[in-house]
Amino acid sequence: MLLQNAIADTLNNPEWTFALAECVHIGGFAVSIGSIALVDFRMLNLGLRKETAARILRYTEPWTLIALVFVVFSGLMLFLAQPDIYLQPTPYLVNGRFMFLLKMSLLVAALLYNFTVHRKVAKMDNPPPALSKLVAIVSLLLWVSVVFGGIFIGFLQ
Amino acid sequence: MGIAHSIQSIQFLSDFSESVLAYPIVLSTHLTCIPLFGGMILATDLRLLGLSLKSLTITEVVTSLRPWKRLGGGIMISMGLLLATSKAEEYAPNPFFWTKMIILGLIGVHALIFRPIVYNKTEEMDQSPVLPTKAKVAAILSLVLWTTMFVMGRLIAYWD
Repeated sequence: MLLQNAIADTLNNPEWTFALAECVHIGGFAVSIGSIALVDFRMLNLGLRKETAARILRYTEPWTLIALVFVVFSGLMLFLAQPDIYLQPTPYLVNGRFMFLLKMSLLVAALLYNFTVHRKVAKMDNPPPALSKLVAIVSLLLWVSVVFGGIFIGFLQ
Repeated sequence: MGIAHSIQSIQFLSDFSESVLAYPIVLSTHLTCIPLFGGMILATDLRLLGLSLKSLTITEVVTSLRPWKRLGGGIMISMGLLLATSKAEEYAPNPFFWTKMIILGLIGVHALIFRPIVYNKTEEMDQSPVLPTKAKVAAILSLVLWTTMFVMGRLIAYWD
């Protein structure tokens, strides 16, 4: 009883659209970053070793692209719902606005990296193992830092 | 609320929930596990459904990702335990939190049911010309359970 009421309350509240956008955002980054991480994982020789990174990339790239569209649009909705909290200056240098701008810069860097360097090396026939590993580690670090940036925005307001 | 209060009053946990850095770092780590290890779950499920990674055997997908999924699950649960116990009084009456815990339990039941008949029988499945229904059922239930899991996780913040 209590359970159903709480869910109904949430769904009947206009605020549910924000929660929905958040869920789409999380689901979207789960699939987009997750699919990129699978390629990284292969490049690091940690799994799926019976197939080349190039082939794994070919399987996962459509998931990455579709999920990225969901992440970006839901992110835009979240941003437009309360743009002030992302942009308001405060007396502190390291604040929500700082973290938001940092996250966006990391996101742009991660996207550019993903569709240039990362893609190119993943598609190489016989890449030097050290290069593959380095490229995969940088990719993982970039994407993980984007997720961390997103969480920290809320903690630094 | 006596028990919840006592739990979150443990010095270590109250220090943690009040810390400016440790709490968001643990929360971010908990969330980072969603793409890193959730991606592996998705890959396994799509392979079991015959929708992707078809040039790899089911055995390769299941066995090569298994240790990493276990590691990810371990990190996720320990971080989650820290997050929930440090705010035990907020979480104890929260129906979304308990729904999430029920889903977690159901994921355990899913493993108990499907490990012996699907995940530990991958070689048989690789030899069979058609993917057995039980594999598809396991994959769809896994996708539904994990999606509900992260949605409930997000909704925890919406109950007051």
